[in-house]
Amino acid sequence: MTHTDMAHTAHDTDTHHGHDHAAHPTEKQYWMVFVILVLFTAVEVAWSFMGFEGAVLVVPLLVMMTIKFFLVAGAFMHLYFDLKILNGRLFTWAFFGAILLAGAVYAAVIASFRFNI
Amino acid sequence: MTDIGIPVEESAAFVAHEQELVHETGHASSLGLSNTKLAFWLFLGSECLLFGALISTYLLSVGNFVGQVVAGNPRVLATMPAEIMNEIAEKGSVNSFFDIPFTSASSFILLMSSLTMVLAHKAVSEGNYRGTKIWLSATALLGATFISGQVYEFTVFYREGLHYDGNLFGSAFYTLTGFHGAHVTIGILMLVALLIMAFKGKLQADRAETVEIIGLYWHFVDVVWVLIFTVVYLIP
Amino acid sequence: MAIIDKPLALPAGEPRRAARPLGVFTRPKEQTGISAWLTTVDHKKIGIMYGSAALFFLLIGGVAALLIRIQLATPNNTFLSGDAYNRMYTMHGTVMVFLVVMPIGAAFANFLMPLQVGARDVAFPRINAFSFWVFFFGGLMLNTSWFLGGGADGGWFNYAPNNGVAFSPSHGIDFWNAGLLIAGIGSLTGSINLITTVLNMRAPGMTLMKMPVFTWMTLVTQFLLLFAIPVITVAQLLLTFDRRFGANFFNVQQGADPLLWQHLFWVFGHPEVYLMILPAFGIVSEIIPTFSRKPIFGYPFMVFSGIAIGFMGWGVWAHHMFVSGLGPLSVTAFSVATMFIAVPTGVKILNWMATLWGGKLILNTAMLFSIGLITQFTVGGLSGVSHALAPSDTQQTDTYYIVAHFHYVLFGGAFFGFVGGVYHWFPKAFGYILNDTFGKVQFWTMVLGFNLTFGPMHILGLQGMPRRMQTYDDAMGFNFWNLAASIGAFILGFGVLMLLANVAYSYSKWKKAGRPNPGPDPWDARTIEWSIPSPAPSHNFDTDPVVTSLDDFWHRKYQEDENGVVRRVHTGAEIAQPGNGEGVHLPAPSYWPIVLAFGIPIIGYGIIFNLWLCIPGALVVIGALFGWALEPADDLDAPGHDHGHDGPGHDGSGDHHEPELETV
Repeated sequence: MTHTDMAHTAHDTDTHHGHDHAAHPTEKQYWMVFVILVLFTAVEVAWSFMGFEGAVLVVPLLVMMTIKFFLVAGAFMHLYFDLKILNGRLFTWAFFGAILLAGAVYAAVIASFRFNI
Repeated sequence: MTDIGIPVEESAAFVAHEQELVHETGHASSLGLSNTKLAFWLFLGSECLLFGALISTYLLSVGNFVGQVVAGNPRVLATMPAEIMNEIAEKGSVNSFFDIPFTSASSFILLMSSLTMVLAHKAVSEGNYRGTKIWLSATALLGATFISGQVYEFTVFYREGLHYDGNLFGSAFYTLTGFHGAHVTIGILMLVALLIMAFKGKLQADRAETVEIIGLYWHFVDVVWVLIFTVVYLIP
Repeated sequence: MAIIDKPLALPAGEPRRAARPLGVFTRPKEQTGISAWLTTVDHKKIGIMYGSAALFFLLIGGVAALLIRIQLATPNNTFLSGDAYNRMYTMHGTVMVFLVVMPIGAAFANFLMPLQVGARDVAFPRINAFSFWVFFFGGLMLNTSWFLGGGADGGWFNYAPNNGVAFSPSHGIDFWNAGLLIAGIGSLTGSINLITTVLNMRAPGMTLMKMPVFTWMTLVTQFLLLFAIPVITVAQLLLTFDRRFGANFFNVQQGADPLLWQHLFWVFGHPEVYLMILPAFGIVSEIIPTFSRKPIFGYPFMVFSGIAIGFMGWGVWAHHMFVSGLGPLSVTAFSVATMFIAVPTGVKILNWMATLWGGKLILNTAMLFSIGLITQFTVGGLSGVSHALAPSDTQQTDTYYIVAHFHYVLFGGAFFGFVGGVYHWFPKAFGYILNDTFGKVQFWTMVLGFNLTFGPMHILGLQGMPRRMQTYDDAMGFNFWNLAASIGAFILGFGVLMLLANVAYSYSKWKKAGRPNPGPDPWDARTIEWSIPSPAPSHNFDTDPVVTSLDDFWHRKYQEDENGVVRRVHTGAEIAQPGNGEGVHLPAPSYWPIVLAFGIPIIGYGIIFNLWLCIPGALVVIGALFGWALEPADDLDAPGHDHGHDGPGHDGSGDHHEPELETV
């Protein structure tokens, strides 16, 4: 990755100069994301009242939570677009590596208590 | 200036900040992402670990608490009224304690505030200053509504007998949600500062990044609530 | 400036500068003297202050160590009471880890990294000053506990439930919490600042794989700090809530699991040990190629092994907890992971040896200390592998064998590397060279003292002497090696003090000789910080260095002739920049970082003694935040620099600082 490449990428996707807004979502798309988020929340709440137990209850809730997490981070926080600016696989990997690492560390802590393995 | 391509134009957007010292070199942005924004993302990465630790602590503490209630530890049972303890022991979880419809409404309000925040950023970067003021005010108000809801919830819980220094559940619940509430409050203060700038006419398109960065913080707080809502309130 | 085609004027026509933000201070103008240091935002001065503060705390931690060794020199000694002994080893460990080794790493990172990447300063100079001051005040606050009820007494890792009010009723552990939380704010803001600088402010042409190894190790270290600090922050906050506000996180009577503390502490604590050693690894990775007259062997392996250590350092924390009752699967997994992490560390050691191999070695002081690091760290690493094996660790844990191990890696490794770094970069920081003969004597004194102190602890540990024991009986068979260790400790303390003596001695010799300048490149070195005058001018680089290769400065000095033989085509002094700062604009100094940092410990005292005290502390903090926000980040009237090409509106409004500040 050379500086020239980065310069172009940055130029193409940067939106702070009034010359290129195409990269970020439109107002309509933001509303769409919001509607999806609300729908997922409604389904989550409904699911929790269905009287399921164990994995049938927990796994769909966690899946919906993860989808909501990435919707907010990717669309509202422009993560999807900022990672494009970085344009380096290294950084994309480092970013998701860090999330995975944090999740794995805490999951291991909890697992070591819960199952005493 | 060398002929190695540096995003000089980009650097103009954030040079009105602390890194002017490098302005004539243009290499203030080897990554093509402004210093402030990069720094803020790093800060949010650090915050992830902070909330990860708090959520883990909550899960573990409440698990231990429920275990003690089920086992009938008299010291633990003495910390809350018997009917609440009986319900917790019977269901094997503390979730019956929560008012899910109320919290769902809170979650909706916070999600809504994320939408208004992102619309505020859109408006300011398009030079729509009236829209900026409207959406920023809406975000701050929705945030304040969320906090009011939390204060109400805490008051109700406290009256029902859940005290911070009473048992593990109280300590863990108030600490986790209190930390989140403190973050929302700080976010509201930053939004108010932005609003003051906006009404003084100082918040214009060139400062869209400031709005975007405060937006990042706001959405992060929202994302944390997405996690807390599912993990604390919905999953037993 | 001229090259930026878009005008930088503030959008809304704000006044260009506020002469007296909040009407309190005028902008500091001093270039010299004490107030110049108090208000500086220069990364080099801040680096030097980090180093000096660390030396100050080293004296405190060192005195504590020597008192411990006096107590243990003879059996059944009553020199220190059990209570005083508890406080002594707790504060020794805490001070050495948090206030000595970590800040020395920060000192080198601050001073060197911007020079190595060819930047004028770090990304956020005022936040950099704040990071230092908040660390320093946090450290001072921790040490005021000596006078306000005694130091902490729970060991440096303060296990629950022993750290609760029931078992430690004095305020020592409250100070431990508050002081380290406050110092942690500095580590966090510092890490964000330094990572941004490395990633975003590199000189033209300096891609990631052309960065010096030290800069790489700084990057990895700061990432470790960024993610590790919040974990210990949570642990210490929970403990503070338990101790001050009656929360129950570690209250076993309410069914809490005290193992939570161990997990949180070591999830932080193990990355912590790597972030203490990696800066030293970076330092020797610069020194060894320079004095072997060879490029570093396997540069990409050095880089990637550093990154690998950074990642794997997160997966080994429970090896500190093998005897805490983890399940067999956890123990096995962490045991295997711990053995694996020895691989990238071993790669580094082999690469240093391969760099030395066949080189034209120049065995000056810096080089001796580097070789000292390799040797002694390897000893510590090998004993480390021996307690990666859980069954063997079960025998060794909480004995002096562990004490020997971590002193071999942290003192024999990290600290030796740091001393070598001081000798190496001293001329770049202060403009004169430390005496080499004196330095060699110091090195051998330290080697003797160090190995005499900590070598015998292996034996004592295997004999079964537990750590943290105030005394031992005559008949236990510990007498001889304890006395030897105590004698060694005093030799070692003398050896460390010789560094200060050498600074004074070399200075007086240099002054007598008429202050000769060592030149920009006294060592014929490889990286671009040697292409500017010594001591480094406040603006660092006259013009941006353009980097075309790894070890760029070396490749500009040495080139292949037509026969393919590498010859020197220039001396360093010939191609170095003259240090002419004309046209360079630097960030102006500011009072607000130190004011802001000063307010935070007041809140800390409030939480310990009386919550009302939090109000004046918070007022100072809020006032400082406003002053900071209203003060332009930059000042066109700052003295000493030519502002010829500055366009209008160079002083950005401080509003932008809110995101960073209000949330720390």
